[in-house]
Amino acid sequence: MRRFEGRVAIVTGAGQGIGRALARGFATEGAALVVAELDAARARRVEQEIVQEAERAIGVPTDVSDEKAVTNTVETAIREFGRIDVLVNNAGIFPLSPIETMAEDEWDRVIATNLVGVFLCSRAVVPHMLTQGGGRIISLASGRAFEGAVHGAHYAASKSGIIGFTKSLALELAPHGITANVLCPGLTDTAQPRGHDLTDEEIYARGAKIPLGRIGQPDDLVGPALFLASDPARHITGQTVLVNGGSIMW
Amino acid sequence: MVNAMEKIAVVGGGGGGIGRAVASRLCDDGFLPLLLDQNESAGTETLSVLAAKGRASKLWVADVSNRAQVREAFDNVVSNYGRIDLLVNLAGGTMYAHLIQDFPLSEWLAVIAVNLKGTFLCCQAAIPTMKRQSSGSMINTSSNYGITGGATRTAYAASKAGVIGFSKSLAHELAPHGIRVNTIAPGRTATARVMRNYTPESWAASEREIPMGRAGDPADIAEGVAFLASPASAYMTGQTLHVNGGMVLP
Repeated sequence: MRRFEGRVAIVTGAGQGIGRALARGFATEGAALVVAELDAARARRVEQEIVQEAERAIGVPTDVSDEKAVTNTVETAIREFGRIDVLVNNAGIFPLSPIETMAEDEWDRVIATNLVGVFLCSRAVVPHMLTQGGGRIISLASGRAFEGAVHGAHYAASKSGIIGFTKSLALELAPHGITANVLCPGLTDTAQPRGHDLTDEEIYARGAKIPLGRIGQPDDLVGPALFLASDPARHITGQTVLVNGGSIMW
Repeated sequence: MVNAMEKIAVVGGGGGGIGRAVASRLCDDGFLPLLLDQNESAGTETLSVLAAKGRASKLWVADVSNRAQVREAFDNVVSNYGRIDLLVNLAGGTMYAHLIQDFPLSEWLAVIAVNLKGTFLCCQAAIPTMKRQSSGSMINTSSNYGITGGATRTAYAASKAGVIGFSKSLAHELAPHGIRVNTIAPGRTATARVMRNYTPESWAASEREIPMGRAGDPADIAEGVAFLASPASAYMTGQTLHVNGGMVLP
């Protein structure tokens, strides 16, 4: 029997990159997937990828910083699949601005998506997990929470914030069999670093400075996410797990 | 003697409560766990647990802080089994607890010798074999006390914080050889050796202090070890996984 047969997972930002890999990873282990993604076409595409492999999925266009949209996504999950066992808070943005010219609206947008989105999605699933008597919340932070990011003060603030938020969430929910943990990828082969005007050559060259000798692939996060979401990880909560080839050791 | 499908694991402290659970759990993932323990009867009991799972294991009675004994055991493992895929260093414990002004040097050194030097000696002994294979994984054992410290535990906390620093350095050194090094940090765990320091009432009270409402089961720790030993964590090295029910959130 597959590890997540009969379970339901919501993955935010599941339209591409790490979120897509995680959604497909959970589906492969039998979970029904809610592909929550800002871009409707991408949500639909990943839904279809999973459905074509004879697994259950529904794409739901979702702005995680919009309270109503999040409510709709969670209601859709319950209506379509009847329960919510796993929430993966993966949606995030990473624009770059020097601090002295960082526009307030850019700051607000980063915090809203990366941090408030984690709050809203977590808050929305908790009542269902409480009713069910358990659940798993996994939020994606970043090595930048530890090291900071040049021209990414808002991003680092939001990602550090996720770690503090998750510890508090873990303490609140521990008596109810719900765990909350953080996964921190390092530099990963996705669209995100390309958005920072790095060429493929520059991105892959950074692998030489990483102890395990390569940058991360989205699939590297799948094993750790499935583990933290699984029954055997029931005693792990409030923790931050770094999956980065050793680029930062915590 | 050697089943080609079996991966070879060496479990230091394999006779202890956590060691036995780890050895038993590793069988489920296709490992043949071989045991090091200075307590022959405890090690023999683990052998019978493994025998019941169809594994013809072997016990080396050795003090991990004794270089000659460690070398002899590892030489023996390599000459009989030809490889070492996994090393789990679980030997050790609190051993002695005193306020600093009352802590005899001999006892302080004994704690460091088993917990820290023992980890060094066992890792060092396994390295030539893993380098020759260009693969392998090492899992060392820290503790919640390695993060928080604790009154009367200056030696234990120093040794367990030391294990983390040691493991990170080793992770850097061995990553180019395809060898991963990670640390497992159990919180309060329900082993016979720990529980004999408590009355039933004080044990229950101590469990109430843990966010998840209970101490760890040795099987919980074993699941964390199995994850770090598995391909699911292939892109993780130099990391510390805390399995403590939310007791410590580093």
